[in-house]
This record gives sequence, structure tokens and C-alpha cells, in this order.
Amino acid sequence: MALLKISEPGKRQSAINTKPAVGIDLGTTNSLISSGYRGNIEVLADTSGQFLLPSVVRYGKGVRPIVGWMAKEAAIGDPQNTVSSIKRLLGRGTSEVENMPQFEQYTFDASRDEGAPAIITEAGVKDPIQVSADILSELLSRAHDYIGEDIEGAVITVPAYFNDAQRQQTKEAANLIGLPVLRLLNEPTAAAIAYGLDSKEEGNVIVYDLGGGTFDVSLLCLKKGVFEVLATGGDTALGGDDFDYILSNWIAKQVYSDENPILEERGRLIAYANSVKHHLSLHESADLEFNNWRGSLNRKEFLEMCEPLVKKTINTCRRVLRDASLSVEQIDNIVMVGGSTRMPIVRQALESYFGRAPLAAIDPDKVVAMGAGIQAEVLAGNKSDNDFLLLDVNPLSLGIETMGELVEKIIPRNTTIPVAKAQEFTTFKDGQTSMIIHVVQGERELVSDCRSLARFELGGIPKMVAGAAKIRVTFQVDADGLLSVVAQELSTLKMSEIQVKPSFGLDAKAIEEMLRSSHQNAELDMELRAIKEAQIEGRQLIDAINSAREIDGDLLDELGHNHLDNLMHELSENISNGTIEEIREATERLNRVSSDFAASRMDLHIGHALKGEAIDNIDR
Amino acid sequence: MQSIKKNFFEFFELSESYDLDIEELSERYHELQKEFHPDKNFSETEAEKMRSVQLASFANEAYETLRSPLKRAAYILTIRGYDAELVDQSDLGMDLLIEQMRLRETLEELPKDESAFPDLEKLKKEVKEKLRTKQSNFALDAREENFVNAKKTFHELQFLYKLMLEIEENEELRLDY
Repeated sequence: MALLKISEPGKRQSAINTKPAVGIDLGTTNSLISSGYRGNIEVLADTSGQFLLPSVVRYGKGVRPIVGWMAKEAAIGDPQNTVSSIKRLLGRGTSEVENMPQFEQYTFDASRDEGAPAIITEAGVKDPIQVSADILSELLSRAHDYIGEDIEGAVITVPAYFNDAQRQQTKEAANLIGLPVLRLLNEPTAAAIAYGLDSKEEGNVIVYDLGGGTFDVSLLCLKKGVFEVLATGGDTALGGDDFDYILSNWIAKQVYSDENPILEERGRLIAYANSVKHHLSLHESADLEFNNWRGSLNRKEFLEMCEPLVKKTINTCRRVLRDASLSVEQIDNIVMVGGSTRMPIVRQALESYFGRAPLAAIDPDKVVAMGAGIQAEVLAGNKSDNDFLLLDVNPLSLGIETMGELVEKIIPRNTTIPVAKAQEFTTFKDGQTSMIIHVVQGERELVSDCRSLARFELGGIPKMVAGAAKIRVTFQVDADGLLSVVAQELSTLKMSEIQVKPSFGLDAKAIEEMLRSSHQNAELDMELRAIKEAQIEGRQLIDAINSAREIDGDLLDELGHNHLDNLMHELSENISNGTIEEIREATERLNRVSSDFAASRMDLHIGHALKGEAIDNIDR
Repeated sequence: MQSIKKNFFEFFELSESYDLDIEELSERYHELQKEFHPDKNFSETEAEKMRSVQLASFANEAYETLRSPLKRAAYILTIRGYDAELVDQSDLGMDLLIEQMRLRETLEELPKDESAFPDLEKLKKEVKEKLRTKQSNFALDAREENFVNAKKTFHELQFLYKLMLEIEENEELRLDY
């Protein structure tokens, strides 16, 4: 049993534990650190009073890395040695970087074909773990100024969609500077913690996170210290940058005759658009001046320009609500995260959709770091009364490949984990003794459109006619989101199993892409599914006739064989190239003709059975 | 000690009833998860860890089933020995089929863009109202242990839920996803 320490009057009140802990929001564009300080959780500022630390590191020859504002300023003059947005590279492979234009200016170390992409700088080769570690180190030294050197550990936040590799590398970055990780916490949960536990709110909460380059929505249910994630959604290619881009295009149109100014003007224009956007967050209108052009813009005009973007985010909210079977009236609070939620047009859109004003008590830039700080205090034992539990969900559906490359979903997306679900399958061919279990992830109906996670074989199935064997496939997802799959043949109880990491290598962008295409293709999928099913039916009929002919071929004369051959040939042609109607018609024709053959087989076998032949010999 | 052999109602220590107090259910679920969840059972042995995952999974499944009005109805029929998946044609009255056709036609005739949202909302409201009526019918049937009637009502609920799903899919098709 732990003994309670009694602190002396006037000493630090939170002295239940000995050491303070920190919460870190390690962001793509900016990072923050918070800690229990002077009895409250506070986001810590640097010596000039700035809370945000730009997640930018400059690596100069023979000097210590420079992190933050100074590095950000240097990025324009020294782009090759100044690394920004490194979070996007965490957990990535070298080959993936080629498709990311924002990293064009860097020279990557070509000698590493496998593993993490590493950037060649004047100070040596830097991989994403090293760069993240340098950012963490800068934040930590800030904390040392406030709370001393002796720190219990950190809670670091990650996007809810971060996969296993990305989480692992975030941890490694902390390990590199000797900072113990108490927990990796999902960003929306951290935001909800910041509001939920501080102000003791209960109910359904939408966390709307519009950052510089990404957008996430989570629906959480808070009740007596339990955070239940009901549904998640988002867009990894939508953020404040897109508003800047639209505004810069509009300005370009006023200044130049077309929207495409020369490249160096482009950078200046976007920076100018960004400052106009900030101005419009505080004022109703802005006077504009760029080169020799002068003009003005008000909020309403800006809203009209950006309406498609805002609408897109509202539609994502709509879908998340739908996934959770909740209506807007059932939402009790809207938590805003990310600097872009400062835009009044975003707040107004949220307010009009949800019918209530979003929470604005905590600075949207600080809210995630605040939540991390609170969780850090809890885990370090400094706040034992706030004992909460997080019930998370799996972001994408998990399923198995069935006949005809179709996907059978076993665990649908947004199911609370841990979870175990079983489904029974059967064999496709007579005498089939093994079965390939192909595990896939995604929302689409065809295997080729989903992500393949694992493939394994269940052998030793006793020989039976098609459809007689029973194979139970069980999917189990544990609390960390790790999937294991077990396949078992129910008559022999023979088992085969595999462990897979469902999100490994599947980044937020890919999840987004798969979700998006699943919606666009819902109708297409239905058609494809229908045609696949017709093809399967056709092939099954051909297989059945072939195996019947092997046994009882002598029941047919040459003409009969030819007739079947022709129809079977016609059917297989249609299976490969025909329309769904053609396949169905050809199947029907073959079915009709072969039914006489089937009838004579039946007569023969009944005759055998009546003569006392063993049943086994009938179906060799 | 909780056992995964119990039925879902027993597991949550609730009496078997369709009129479930969802608040109470979720409270019981949260209490149990605070006890079972792997995050609450850190430094245990492998066997205890496994048990924790199994119990937490079972709690999730039980909660998911009882929370959903349709799944809860099917579950009550199942534990009473009725096959909820088997639809007997005679269970479906002519009135039901005609009404379903009318509702479906209304849905199909809506414009294929966002201008349909208010009408979709209206249709949703109508179906929701019907769902509510059928749910109280089911509750009554179950309370009176008239499971033959309950099964008929369940199939009516299935139709309405399917329609609701289609309305929502229609909504989705009209979003820019």
C-alpha cells in the first residue's frame, strides 16, 4: 500500500508523487509541451513568451541543430538543410517519399533502399526519428526551465489514424533522448480529456480538428471517466493551407490577368494570403495591397470562396454521425482543435450544422497538449482521482476473401476493440483438402480494391463434397489494434492461425483514399459483385459437370458429350468476356441440357444403392 | 465473477426485457469495462491478460447486441428458441408490403442531388416514427411472452431498418464523398 505524503503548507500541492510529468503535442507544423506547474496544467512558453514551437529543424555544419522559429525563417534561404513536416515521413518507407512533392527540395540518402527515408544535410544524414528527437529535445529543455531536470516521463499525442510503425517511431524518437514514454495518446482523445475532465463535461462530443494540412473528426462519448470512441473520419489532404491556396488564387486573379504567377511570386502570394486570412479571423474586412495592386475583401466574400472546403468538413461530420447512428440533436459538445478552427467561417458553419456553438474556452492550438498534460499527471500518479478508460474503435473494416475475389466483412469499421468475431465458411470444390485464408482491410467489395494484410493456409480438411466442410474463421482485434486470425475445420478441429498488424503500412492517406473510393464505387461494386456471382455460378456448373463426367461419362453418347462440350465452351467464353445477361443465359442453357444427364446419373446410383453397393463407391 | 457463458442480459445483471434502459446498460457496460479492459490490467500473467481480452471482447459484443434495438430483438427471439433469420412468408401481411412499396417509391423519386436533403429528413422522420411504434409492439409481445407475434413484429422492424439504411445510403450518395 502506498503511503500518502503530507506536504508542508506553502510547498507544491501536487506532491503525491515525487516527479512531474509532461504532455507533448508533436505536430506536423507546430509542437507544444505542457506540465503540471503551479498546481495547474499549463502549456509552457519559451523565453519570448511563445507557446508554439514550429516543428522545423535546421542542420548547419558544425553547429547544434536549430529548432523552431529561427529554423522556420531559415527555411527560405536554406531549404536543403532545413527540415519541416517530418511527421509526414514517420513510419514511411523510402519508396513512398517519391510521391510527396513537399519533400522535393531535400536530397535523400540513396544508399538506404529499405527502411526510413533519410535526408542528407550539412550536419550529416538525418532520419525522421532523429529529426523528431531534436524537436522533442528542444521542448524538453523548455520544460527543464520550469520544472527542473528530473522528469518522470511524457505522454505524446499521435493522430488517431497513426499506424503501428508510425507509433513505434514516435516512441523511438523519445527513447533517443532518454525520455520515457508513459503513453501514446490519440489527439482527439487528448482534446476531449482537456475539456471533459477539466470541466467535468459528460455526453457526446464531436472533436473537430482542422490543422494546417489535415482534417480529423472523432465522435466520443464521455461518461464517468470512460471515453468511448463511437466513430472517426477525416481527410488527410485538407487543412488551413487549402484556404490560403484558394485565397492566393483569388488575389492572383486580381493582380495578374491569370491565376498562375511566376513561381517566386507564388510563395509570397501564399504567405500574403495567410496573413489576410488571419486578419479576417479578427476583423470583418481587410484592405489588400500586393505589388501595385490595391483592393479589399470582407468575411462574406471569403466565405463564398471557401464554402466548398467548409462543406466538405461538414459532410465528414455528417458521415461520422451516421456511422454512430446519432443525430445532431444528440451532440452535446463540439471541441475545436487546430489553428484553422479560429476562422469565423468554420465556427459559423459548425454552429449552424450542430445548432450549438462550439466550445472555445481552450485555445485550439493548445487543447491537445493540455489533454496530454492531464493524462501525464494521471499516469505519473499525480492525479489519482481522475481514473479514466479509453474505449477505442478500429478505423477500417476487416474481412476475408471469398469465392470470386469478393470480400466478406467480418469486423466492420468503428467496432469497439477488443473484439472477437467468427464466421463460418465452406469449401468450393469436391474433395478440397485445404483452404487459403486471405485477410483484407477496407470498405470495398472486391479484394483487389482493399488492402491485403495476410494470407495463410488451413490444410488437412477431410475430403467432402463442395459445401459440406465447415470452417470457422475467427478474427480477434486486441486493445492495441493488433489483429489475429484463426481458422478451424469443425469436424477435425484442425486449426491454423496468424497474427497481423491491421494498420501496418496503411497510412492515413491510404485509409482516406480507400474510404473515399468505397463511397464513390458503392454502385459500381454492386454491379461487379453481381457479375462475379454469375461467373462463380457458371464455373461451379462447369466443374460439377466435369467431375460427373469423369465418373459417369459412359452414360452419355458421343452426341451428348459434344453437346455438353459446346455449351460448356460457350459458357466459359462468356464467363471471360460476356455481359452478366450472357453469362446467365449460357448457364441456364447448360443447366437445362445437363439436367437429363444428371437425371440418368441419379437413376443409376439409386439402382446401385438398391442393389446393396456401398454408398462410398457411388461417389468415388 | 463474470462468466462469458452467461447470456448477455445476465452478464450485465439486467432482467431480460426489450424495454431496456439504455442508460443503465451503458453504465453497467462501463463499470465492467473499467474492470476487464486490458488497459486496466497491466501487470498480470499471460493467462490473466488473455482472460481480460476475452471478457472485454465479450462485453463489447454483448453491449453492441443489446444496445441496438434490432439486434436486441433478434437476440431475445434467439434465446427464446426462435430462429430470427428464418422469414416465414405468412409473417408478412399485405398492408406491410404495400406500405413498404409506397415508402420505397417516395425514396426513389427524390432528386439525385443535395436538394433532396429536406425530403430525406422528412422520410427519415416518418420511418423513425413507425420504428418507434413497432418497437413498443415488440416490447409488449415480449412482455406477454407472445413470441409468435414478436417474431412477426421483428420482421416488420427488419423491413423498416433496411429502409432506414437505404435512406441513409441515399443521403451519402448525395454528399461529395
